Amino acid sequence: MRNRRQIVTAALLVALVSGMTGLAFASVPLYRLFCQVTGFGGTPRVETNGPTNTGPVSTRHITVRFDSNVNSALPWRFKPVQRQMNVRIGEATLAHFTAENLAQEPAIGTATFNVTPHKAAQYFAKVQCFCFDEQRLEAGQRVDMPVSFFIDPEILDDPNAQDVSTITLSYTFFRSDSL
Amino acid sequence: MFKHFRDIAGLIVLGCVTVVGEASAAGMAEPWQVDLQTPASPVAEQIRSFNAILFSLEALITLVVLGLMGFIIWRFNAKRNPVPNKRTHNTALEILWTVVPILILVVVAFPSLRLLFFMDRTQDAEMTIKVVGHQWYWSYEYPDHGDFTFDSIMIPDDELKPGQPRLLAVDNPVVVPVGVNVRVLLTSDDVIHSWAVPSLGLKTDTVPGRTNETWVNVNEEGTYYGMCSELCGINHGYMPVAVKAVSKAEFDAWSKNAKQEFARNDGQATHVVQAVGEVSQ
Amino acid sequence: MTAEHHPTGWRRWVYSTNHKDIGTMYIVLSMIGAIIGGGMSWYIRLELAQPGIQFIEDTQLYNVLVTAHGFLMVFFVVMPAMIGGFGNWFVPLMIGAPDMSFPRMNNISFWLLVAALVLLVIAGLTGGGPGTGWTVYPPLSSATFHPGPAVDFAILSLHVAGASSILGAINLITTIINMRAPGMTMHRAPLFVWAILVTAFLLLLAIPVLAGALTMLLTDRNFGTSFFIPEGGGDPILWQHLFWFFGHPEVYIIIIPAFGIISQIIATFSKKPVFGYLGMAYAMCAIGFVGFVVWAHHMYTVGLDVNTRAYFVLATMVIAVPTGIKIFSWLATMWGGSITFKTPMLFATGFIALFVAGGVTGVVLSNAGMDVALHDTYYVVAHFHYVLSIAAVFAMYAGFYYWIGKMSGRQYSETLGKIHFWASFVGVNLLFFPQHFLGAAGMPRRIPDYPDAYAGWNMVSSIGALITAIGTVFFLYIVWHTLTRGQKAKANPWGEGATTLEWTVASPAPFHTHEELPNMEPAQAGE
Repeated sequence: MRNRRQIVTAALLVALVSGMTGLAFASVPLYRLFCQVTGFGGTPRVETNGPTNTGPVSTRHITVRFDSNVNSALPWRFKPVQRQMNVRIGEATLAHFTAENLAQEPAIGTATFNVTPHKAAQYFAKVQCFCFDEQRLEAGQRVDMPVSFFIDPEILDDPNAQDVSTITLSYTFFRSDSL
Repeated sequence: MFKHFRDIAGLIVLGCVTVVGEASAAGMAEPWQVDLQTPASPVAEQIRSFNAILFSLEALITLVVLGLMGFIIWRFNAKRNPVPNKRTHNTALEILWTVVPILILVVVAFPSLRLLFFMDRTQDAEMTIKVVGHQWYWSYEYPDHGDFTFDSIMIPDDELKPGQPRLLAVDNPVVVPVGVNVRVLLTSDDVIHSWAVPSLGLKTDTVPGRTNETWVNVNEEGTYYGMCSELCGINHGYMPVAVKAVSKAEFDAWSKNAKQEFARNDGQATHVVQAVGEVSQ
Repeated sequence: MTAEHHPTGWRRWVYSTNHKDIGTMYIVLSMIGAIIGGGMSWYIRLELAQPGIQFIEDTQLYNVLVTAHGFLMVFFVVMPAMIGGFGNWFVPLMIGAPDMSFPRMNNISFWLLVAALVLLVIAGLTGGGPGTGWTVYPPLSSATFHPGPAVDFAILSLHVAGASSILGAINLITTIINMRAPGMTMHRAPLFVWAILVTAFLLLLAIPVLAGALTMLLTDRNFGTSFFIPEGGGDPILWQHLFWFFGHPEVYIIIIPAFGIISQIIATFSKKPVFGYLGMAYAMCAIGFVGFVVWAHHMYTVGLDVNTRAYFVLATMVIAVPTGIKIFSWLATMWGGSITFKTPMLFATGFIALFVAGGVTGVVLSNAGMDVALHDTYYVVAHFHYVLSIAAVFAMYAGFYYWIGKMSGRQYSETLGKIHFWASFVGVNLLFFPQHFLGAAGMPRRIPDYPDAYAGWNMVSSIGALITAIGTVFFLYIVWHTLTRGQKAKANPWGEGATTLEWTVASPAPFHTHEELPNMEPAQAGE
């Protein structure tokens, strides 16, 4: 025969199940936050105020390469203006991409982005980026898309990142108005 | 289907002959192969030597445990040992069989992590290629050599030329120079694929919306084959990878030519992607 | 529940609240699942016996078979047999409880699983079927690449199966914690009870995460959200993290009850108590715990940064330690024993052999560097079939032969059982061992056709599948033979080694047992 203890046990277990279900949903924002904080999955940092380090920047340079992709559902051409730049660590730098709508009607695109090697992502900070917002291009319109970024001098103190001499910043534009 | 079993004997004979008679050619598996493919890059070589350590350890452990079990079965069966003892504890023994596996794992961990960090590090790559996965073919881009791009599609069985391996040969292999560190960027245009070449120690997923990075340095000229290694839909089994490694001079000539031959890379897939809805019929 | 309450006819089964009847129904459901899922794998092996396309022209159908085989074997064969079947039958008997804590909920758990199976069959028959693999990775499983209702039905099926498992797990935990007979402390409970307890907790922690992820996938497919779709800012890799956070504990959900069954059988037939009982119990807890912090070893090639992979390598290797403790403790239990090799013991020793072989390949795969060569190849297929499919199935066979006398009142034929063992042992090794070679040589999983170099070992593997299939059909004959021709089983057919409480009641176990609670004070403790 059931007694109180059994009901209490079962209630606790139901609470455990609810808690785990809650955690599963909470994992979506938590994962995003985790990626932003730790650079997990190659997620670069966002530092809209620019480099915080006002002291002397390092003399070391890192090559930053630019990579672009357009999902085939979006009829755009999207290319970096410069293939690569030699960037001084700690210094804010501006790079340019061009995007052109090849279709006869306007389209809205959003860019996803990440940095490789992944372990360098936590030191790669974006100040301003076209990828923060949706971009709308009219039929045939061609625009310049700037991104400003800097490499955190803390990368110099990470023994794990000592071998990083090249960082690739990659974008993929997806169509976002047909969803 | 019984006709299939007639072939077994033939296959076995053929296999033995092949194993004994032929020096192994790099780039793909041999009939009756039991081990990793012949390595043709520093990473693949290190995988092979780490595997040698692992394999000998694991084989030893398996033999010892199964041998011990065999001995127990022989020594302590009811006929030979009619009266069981009742020993159920032996602290020293329990500590021993906890600590010894830990020590073995520590021994494995060091070369394991060394290999992992080695393969992760793209050292001073001289050039970059980009791999894009599509349902169901690969396309390759050469951003450093005039930014041309081309698709690499499997040759169907009925169009194979002699010497082209079935399910592996493609119309346009990706070409790289030997002895050069090549950075490989990978992404996908639709679902997740995985770009793999066993003999070069390469396997990295291509994920839409993000770019992964790996590297390769091919030791020897030749063609190295692999297959898509992440289930990606109905033709998952039909999108092989073929990497053709050539001398530097040959590569330069090829890339100049390829720049003319292949359409300018305007960021658009040059191949018509199968319409949505045909995926599952 | 009172002793007078003993319905007959179809009401006895459909409305059943009796743990033994529900356990029996779970076992029958598992056998139906095994026939369907095993038939699919046999068809797959038939296709792969030779290079080229033999039988399955439609590669989407091939992918659906691979997917459905995985779902069926995990959710509708092993789990129902081990947890729903043997768990239901023997947990109350072993702890001296008259029934489960919540008999009506027990009934709901079972029928939910039947509903889930129906949904899965519908999924397989609509809109081309789900060809996503059992991992259901988006974007392949998204509405763009799998339009049509098949994947939705598969998701619903898993939802319902998950609900069934959660209810079953709550029931088992409540029963084990609250309904043990006087004197049956947790530290005197048989290891099978411990195994089911640990498994039930794993279910409660893992299944809700799967349920959450499946719900997100369902809304991505149907309601325009984009949790996992890159177009809308989602991340397909997040699905993999969530799936494997469930998926890795899931493999322990499958194997830990097997550990429990094997411990009981080895002690019984060695005529010795289990060696290192506490170590065994806590090793299972440790395996369960570590199982939650190693999930990304399934994701070494998706593009995780190197430090993350290094962590998962080390964490995964740790699992080998408690697993080793279990293997060595089983051998130490046998050491000094007086072992009789009846069919259950044959399957139990077979289990150890298979589990050791599958375990060491697991250590190989735990190395992220090595995994680059082996990930998504037949090496992985061989590894998880050694541990999950054939070791777990050997434990199920062992449990079946061990307990069939108690469940049916009739004993199996020892000769037939031994033939079945040897056919299975030879068959499964011939079937799966060559797959290590195929994988090492680079043959990817989930492909309907393969380069000609892989023909030899695939043929050997398919011959192994034929032998295994014959063995399995022979097993069905043994079931029929036992139920119709079997000798009457004694209350305890195994003699002095069988000390747990289920052997103190008559065979077949009466409809109601332990109405008067057995006293398990130390003098007669049965561990």
